[in-house]
Amino acid sequence: MNSGSQPPYAQARRHAAPERWDKPFSEDMKEVDVDLLLAHPLFVSTNPDRFPLSIPLRGILKNDARIRRFQPGEVIVRRGDYGHSAFVILDGAARVLLREPAAEQLGRRQQVRPSVWGSIKRWLKRPHYAEQSANRGSATALQLSGSGEARIFLQDVPGVLDADWTVQLKSGEMFGEIAALGRTPRTSTVVADGDAQVLEIRWQGLREIRRYSPEWKAQIDSRYRERSLRRHLAETPLLYNLSEETLGLIADATRFETFGEFDWQSAYSRVREAGERERLEQEPLIAREGDYPNGLLLVRSGFARVSNRYNHGERTESYIGKGEAFGLAEIVSGWQGKVMPLRRSLRALGYVDILFIPTAILEEHVFPRLTAEQLAALTKDLSPPAAVVGPGAVLDESGNTFLEFIVAQRFINGRATMLIDLDRCTRCDDCVRACAATHDNNPRFIRQGPESSGVMVASACMHCVDPVCMIGCPTGAIHRESINGQVEINPETCIGCSVCAQSCPYGTIQMVALHDEEGLPIVTEETGAPIRRATKCDLCIDQPAGPACVSACPHDALIRADMRSVDDINRWLLR
Amino acid sequence: MIPFLTRRWILSLATAVVAIWLGLAWRVGWIALRPVNMYSGWLLFALMVGLAFFNARKKLPFLPLLKASTWLQIHIYVGWLACLIFIMHTGLRFSGGRLEWLLSLGFIAVAASGIFGLWLSRWIPPQLARSGESLIYERIPVLRHRLVEEAKAIVTQAEAETQSTTLTDYYLRVLGDYFARQPALLAPLAGDDADYHRVRLELTSLRRFLNEREIVLADQIGQLLEAKRNLDSQLAGQRLLKLWLFVHIPLTYGLFVLVGAHVWLILNYAHRL
Repeated sequence: MNSGSQPPYAQARRHAAPERWDKPFSEDMKEVDVDLLLAHPLFVSTNPDRFPLSIPLRGILKNDARIRRFQPGEVIVRRGDYGHSAFVILDGAARVLLREPAAEQLGRRQQVRPSVWGSIKRWLKRPHYAEQSANRGSATALQLSGSGEARIFLQDVPGVLDADWTVQLKSGEMFGEIAALGRTPRTSTVVADGDAQVLEIRWQGLREIRRYSPEWKAQIDSRYRERSLRRHLAETPLLYNLSEETLGLIADATRFETFGEFDWQSAYSRVREAGERERLEQEPLIAREGDYPNGLLLVRSGFARVSNRYNHGERTESYIGKGEAFGLAEIVSGWQGKVMPLRRSLRALGYVDILFIPTAILEEHVFPRLTAEQLAALTKDLSPPAAVVGPGAVLDESGNTFLEFIVAQRFINGRATMLIDLDRCTRCDDCVRACAATHDNNPRFIRQGPESSGVMVASACMHCVDPVCMIGCPTGAIHRESINGQVEINPETCIGCSVCAQSCPYGTIQMVALHDEEGLPIVTEETGAPIRRATKCDLCIDQPAGPACVSACPHDALIRADMRSVDDINRWLLR
Repeated sequence: MIPFLTRRWILSLATAVVAIWLGLAWRVGWIALRPVNMYSGWLLFALMVGLAFFNARKKLPFLPLLKASTWLQIHIYVGWLACLIFIMHTGLRFSGGRLEWLLSLGFIAVAASGIFGLWLSRWIPPQLARSGESLIYERIPVLRHRLVEEAKAIVTQAEAETQSTTLTDYYLRVLGDYFARQPALLAPLAGDDADYHRVRLELTSLRRFLNEREIVLADQIGQLLEAKRNLDSQLAGQRLLKLWLFVHIPLTYGLFVLVGAHVWLILNYAHRL
């Protein structure tokens, strides 16, 4: 039955249902290329019959992969970039740079905080118009290919590659798969060593190949165990001071599990306005309250909600992120003879990468080595964890609104979230003016955003722990200075494609038109369309006084908060 | 991060100590027949220049000149000290002449507007936060226009769908005026939303004339009324928070002109007295 406002289905316009491979990774992949790949030693041992009919290996190679040719000295991946694909060398060789060259050599800006005098000079020469750009051009290392794809060439190739701080990768070797599957930044820069032909597989395809091909799974997992897992485990406080042999045993027994959608930002936009109950139902359950803790869950990347049942609802107690563990207190308690089920549930907030260490392994290899004090410290977690409390609010039995708010809206992703205390903010806009004065007369944030418990989360880049905006940038213009550094955009290499602005789930990246010295828009030669570039908060990395918004607020109403530091946020809220 | 209360105690105590020390120094100087009025005058002038730099700091956000919040605290407590020195300097006698009288009046006006502004900046923000969604001041006229258009659309729809004029009459009689009206300048101080309650009450009393469909639309009008109430509250509060600075800062400039004249007169003519 049709309602009055909806057209009857018979009259509706009909389209083919959208399918996974409507938009292939590359239009240039032909059947002949796929045939060549299937005959390549890489895929000879891969049995196509293991793949489901809906996702055949041939389809994956045709739609989720592409063959790229790199010239000598061309950068294949850059350290620090967030990649969404893995690479296998088909022909030629590549070199991994063990020591990072200067930022300019890789098409990046070298950020140096200017002197006070430098800042004054810049202020005196400030542009008259917003986003004025006199000589906008590509960085010396950046070139555009015939297809418009950005390519980065290492400057001074012999000087860099001839040095003894590189490792050669030969035909058949894979790289970049850990960053692609684990949503982590590239850990090294890889450059073509001579002409090289490389197969690039986007993460969706790589995930399917790993799932249906035991050979690939074994190869990827063993490489992960070799390269990252041991280091990751060794950095886990519980596993400090274990011998290499024991760590190896634990690594071998560790399982990798992923929860949630890799591109969670699209789903997040859909459920953002949904009710709390509906949102909770859509969050994949990692561990259920009341179940037996059969293993320790270590978060490798992403965030998870820790909650427990409260009458007919679910109460959020806290959230955990990279490097944090779940279920340890219960496991220790069980080992000490007092079997205890999980007292809380764990749900994936977006995409979560989990390492699962079986209880038996911990009981055999880890707990016997711990002292009584260490064990007591581990079971201290049996009391409720710290949670964020709103100003003036007391954490009562029904939880608290502010914590639920920041978890539901995924603001926990922020490393420099702009929080404004509305009880103190006089709406003077000194923060906005200071931002504009330090950024081409155009503020990089909007003093408006969702509010809860008298605190506003303003629309400013949060420099996220999981910066999805960086995935897909064709030139690497949006990048992170260091693993924990701020996310910034290099205006010289930004081509204004707006991929980052569309990817940001919080809508904090703005595309702005550039102007010349007379205030007229700069347009393209071909179409006359305005040239735009992405702009966002850069935490005033090029200002000697740090973030101008914070130092300009006369009423102590604004901070840039690392949402992982729950204690700091609490202290600020309860001043 | 020092809690606000602790900070207030520390700074108040430090100001009180300095004030007592200044009072004693002034008294000793006075007994010793030192030119304490000249000293206090120059000290007051120096403090006023220092206080005025707070505004200059706001114009130079790129310089590492301490946080603006630190400047504000200095501004507040040094301001109190300046008031004390003003009392010492003048003895609260304003009979020196027209210029001195005007100068004293100017200082009192600047100090009073500063104290009033400080009180406003602590009083209004919590009210705005409780009123509803925060709005950007410059966008309020646009939002008001949108509300009016939505209200018109609802009453037009009500009449078209139900052939009843109850809501249209209500719009013409009450709602149009209410949406067009701006809150009074000092409305935030009076906590005045009597208009909102009156209009809301009238809408509620109309329900007995409405059919089911009209009640749904009347509820939508109720939501618009709530939005208008927040809009008025945000407008009035933010306007007052901005306006007091338009009094405080020009008065300060005027005061500096008078101080300049006063200093010039003293330097040129004091020795002839």
